[in-house]
Amino acid sequence: MSEGASEILHLDNVSRRFGGLQALRGVTLGIARGEVLGLIGPNGAGKTTLVNTICGVTPASGGTVTFLGKNITRIKTYQAARLGLSRTFQIVQPFAEFSALDNVAAAALFSQPGESLTSAREAARAHLAFVGLEAQATQPAATLTLAMRKRLELAKALAMKPKLLFLDEVNAGLNSAEVARATKLIHELAAGGITIVMIEHLMKVVLNVCTRIAVLHNGQLIADGAPRDVIKNPAVVDAYLGQQYAQRNAAGV
Amino acid sequence: MWLTQVLINALVLGCLYACIAIGFSLVWGVLNVINLIHGSFIVLGSYLAFGLYQTLGISPWYAIIVAAPLFFVLGYLLQFLLLNRVINAPVLVTLTMTFGLDLILNNAMIYFFKADYRKLTLSPPMGSVSLFHAVVPIDRLIATVAALALTGLLYLVLRRLRVGRAIVAVRLDRDAAVLMGVDVKSIYAVAFGLGAALAGCAGVLMALVYPISPLTSSTFLGKAFVVCVLGGLGSVSGALAGGVLLALVEGVGTTFLGPEHATTLSFVLLIVFLIVRPQGLLGRKGFE
Repeated sequence: MSEGASEILHLDNVSRRFGGLQALRGVTLGIARGEVLGLIGPNGAGKTTLVNTICGVTPASGGTVTFLGKNITRIKTYQAARLGLSRTFQIVQPFAEFSALDNVAAAALFSQPGESLTSAREAARAHLAFVGLEAQATQPAATLTLAMRKRLELAKALAMKPKLLFLDEVNAGLNSAEVARATKLIHELAAGGITIVMIEHLMKVVLNVCTRIAVLHNGQLIADGAPRDVIKNPAVVDAYLGQQYAQRNAAGV
Repeated sequence: MWLTQVLINALVLGCLYACIAIGFSLVWGVLNVINLIHGSFIVLGSYLAFGLYQTLGISPWYAIIVAAPLFFVLGYLLQFLLLNRVINAPVLVTLTMTFGLDLILNNAMIYFFKADYRKLTLSPPMGSVSLFHAVVPIDRLIATVAALALTGLLYLVLRRLRVGRAIVAVRLDRDAAVLMGVDVKSIYAVAFGLGAALAGCAGVLMALVYPISPLTSSTFLGKAFVVCVLGGLGSVSGALAGGVLLALVEGVGTTFLGPEHATTLSFVLLIVFLIVRPQGLLGRKGFE
C-alpha cells in the first residue's frame, strides 16, 4: 500500500448491507495514483457492489470513502460522474437509438459542465478512433456487436475524462482475439496515466495488466498486494483460484 | 371547393392540435407521467391571453412571450417540489397526483373566472384570406404558424441544446444518463416545465379559436391524448402527424355526419389505433 499523499481513493472500513445480506464487510483499501488494481473474487463476493458503493449507486451503510481528499461517502451518482469517477458496465448500457458517436458525445457533454455539443462530438470522434470504432461512428449503438459495444463503453468512460476508471468485466464474453485487443487498450490507458480498477475473471489478463491485486470473498478483503504474491496466498487459492490453478501456476504453465 | 376548404381547415386545426399535444407527449414520454393538469394549463393560458388583451390591450402574439416563461416556472416548481417526490412510484400514483392537482387548478379557475364561456375577439378583426379557393381567417392562420414555430422550437431544443440532449438521454436510459453525470431530477423538472410552457402557449393560441371556459380543459386533454396515440409517443413529427390526422378525420366526419359526431369519431379512431397500431403513426423510443 502507498502512503496517503499519493492515494487517489481511500476506503475506510466500508460496509454495505442489503436487507439481511451483508454484501461488504469493513473493506479498507487505498488506491494509489497511476495504479492498475485488479479486483478479483468469486461470484457474489461483492466486487460490483464495491464499485457501486464508490460511485454512489448504492451508498455505503458504514465507513467512509475519500476521493482526492474529499469525503464522497454520501455523494449522488451524477456528482460522482462529474468528479471524474467513471465506469464501464458488466452488462453494456448504450443509448440504443443514439449513434455510437452520440453515445460517446453524451458522456462528454453531461459529465463536464460547460462542454458544448460541437466540442463534445469532436472529443467523441477522437475517443472512438482510440478504441477502433471510427468506422461505426454513425451506426446506432443497438447494431454493434458485443465486442464493439464493450469498446464503446470504454470510449464513453474515457469521454468523461476520468481520474479513476472502473472497468467491470470488459472482457467477459469476448473471444481471445478480442480480449487481446481490449488488453492492449487497457495497457495504453494505464500508460496514459489513468488510475484503473478492473474487475476481471480472466487471470491471464489480470496478471498481464495489473500492478496490484485485491481479493474479495464474502464481502471481505482477504488479500491485497503484488500479483505474484497474491496468487500464491493460500486463502485466495482456497476461495477463488482453486488448487488446480495453483499447481499449474507453480509448475510454470 | 368544399374539399380544399376541409383540407385547409384540417391543416390549420391540426397544427394547433399538435401544439396542444406536444407538451403532453414530452412529459408522458420522458417522465412516464400522464399529466392530467395539461388541459387546465391550456385553459389558464387562454385566460392569460384574454386578461392581458382585455385589461392591458396586449395582443395574444405578445402574450405568448409572457406565457412561456411564466408557465415554465410553474411547471418546473410543480415537478421539483411535488411530482419528483413520487416520480419513482407506479404510474397510478403520479396519475392520481396530477388528477388532484388538476382538480385544484380547475376548480380555482371556476371559482375565480366563473364557468361562463368567454371569447377573445380581436378588434379591429384581422379579416380573412383566400388560399386555393378556401377562406382562412388571418388570426387563425397566424396562430397556426405560431403553433408550428413552437413545435419546431421544441425540436431544436431537443436536438441542439445540451439540456435537450439530456432530456432525450434520460428518456432513452435513465440509469445510464445518471452515470454520465445527468442530474435526473432537475432534467425532469425542466421537461415538465417545457411541457407546461407549451401548454400555456397553446392556450394563448387556442383563445383565438375556441371559446374560453374552465370546462373545456377536459376537451383539450382528450385531444392531446388522442393525438399522442395516433401520432405515437416520442417524437415531434409524431405529434404533428397525429394532430393533422385527428383534425382531418374530425373535419371530414363533421362534413358528412354533422358536428355533433366529431368527438365520437375521434375516440373511435383512438380505439382503432390502440387495437391496430398501438405505437402510433411515427412512435419511437427516443424523443426528438
